[in-house]
Amino acid sequence: MIKTDVLVIGAGPAGSTAARFAAKGGADVILMDKKSEIGAPKRCAEGISKQTFQKLDLEMDPHWVTREIEGVRLVAPDGTDVWITNDVVELPEAGYILERKVFDKHMAMEAGREGAEIKIKTQAKGLKREDDGTFTVTCESMGETFDINAKIIIGADGPESHVAKWAGLKAYTKPKHMESGIQFEMCNAKMQRSDVLEFYFGSVAPGGYFWLFPKGDDIVNAGLAIIPDFAGDKSAYEYLVDAVDNCYATQDAQAVELNVGGDPVGGLVKEMYGDNILLCGDAASQVNPLTGGGITSGMMGGRFAGEVAAEAIKAGDYSKKFLKKYAKMVDDEMGHDMEKYSKVCDYLWTLSDEELNSIAHAFQGMEFSKISTTELVKALIKVQPKAALKLGKLFL
Amino acid sequence: MIVKDWCSYCGCCAGVCIRNCIEVKETALVFSDDCNNCGICVKACPLAALEMEE
Repeated sequence: MIKTDVLVIGAGPAGSTAARFAAKGGADVILMDKKSEIGAPKRCAEGISKQTFQKLDLEMDPHWVTREIEGVRLVAPDGTDVWITNDVVELPEAGYILERKVFDKHMAMEAGREGAEIKIKTQAKGLKREDDGTFTVTCESMGETFDINAKIIIGADGPESHVAKWAGLKAYTKPKHMESGIQFEMCNAKMQRSDVLEFYFGSVAPGGYFWLFPKGDDIVNAGLAIIPDFAGDKSAYEYLVDAVDNCYATQDAQAVELNVGGDPVGGLVKEMYGDNILLCGDAASQVNPLTGGGITSGMMGGRFAGEVAAEAIKAGDYSKKFLKKYAKMVDDEMGHDMEKYSKVCDYLWTLSDEELNSIAHAFQGMEFSKISTTELVKALIKVQPKAALKLGKLFL
Repeated sequence: MIVKDWCSYCGCCAGVCIRNCIEVKETALVFSDDCNNCGICVKACPLAALEMEE
């Protein structure tokens, strides 16, 4: 039996960051992932905000950044659009489009360089709690089955979140909070600006939106996410094919990749820690419920999980009581935002195409001094009194 | 459960499975005997790659 201080299950950005900071804090760390290539296939639109790098002590590396983003374009069902770009207004949430296949691997390498042992093509099959409270995880790799015993498990196994379910944590994402995401990476795209993210709202993607995230030259991630309960019998794939066909920028574009995945947008899970266990990333639903973005929040969760795990190992205390500070750190960092944006979604996804059109028309005359998601919602409340009732208290 | 050959093993189904009975391997989907054909995974699949057995 292999023994370690900390076992991180899942080497996405959250898991790798957890492993990196746990190792940096002096713990013995194993980071495992079931895939043969970390980062592939991608399950993501690849947008990340600029602040992320400072928050995670990372140097921006041109190997994994494809495009710097200077603004957003929001498009209503009738084509009315609102442009919000850096040359006109200050954009605190500007960012980059990553090449996740390269980025994820680099993040795992950062963990490896801090001393974490990395096991690829290694899948967790189940876990059991020992008499001393530690967990033993049954693993399978290349036809071999073996056990790893760890004082602390960090579940970073994505939206599947088997680890949380095995450990009995209340971390289940209800179907109404699991976005079904799908995306083509395409060339020959005709974007009006190759440094602006485009978002299309309404019946094009019920319970979500259709996005175009440019990756440089004529390349774009064209994807959408739907809540199946809102979407009738049509699959996400069928919605995507229609959206791409009906969009000027993508109707003649050629797909070179098809990406799929679930995106948990229900806000932070109820229990993201327990005795000898922490959850981070999608497994803890550390995802902005409005945008569906989870790279920054998942990696921040990973950082906190790694730091707290290392402290716990130093202190020799892996109890729920000691690990509680992890939940506090996560809550301070993103809890309030998650709650706010959840409410925005509950409202936004009920709007008809006509209502969205009228909001877009009212936005036409508006001047923004500074644009963040909060500023946008404030503007929304101004033009749509119905929004004030639901969102006023949160944002004004 | 019938898994169509265009399944891409994204794990969206496993995420919404209340009974935690879908194992997502790199290139295989394995349903355990705990599956009671509730159908939640069928609806969640972005590719419509799951079908209930008659």
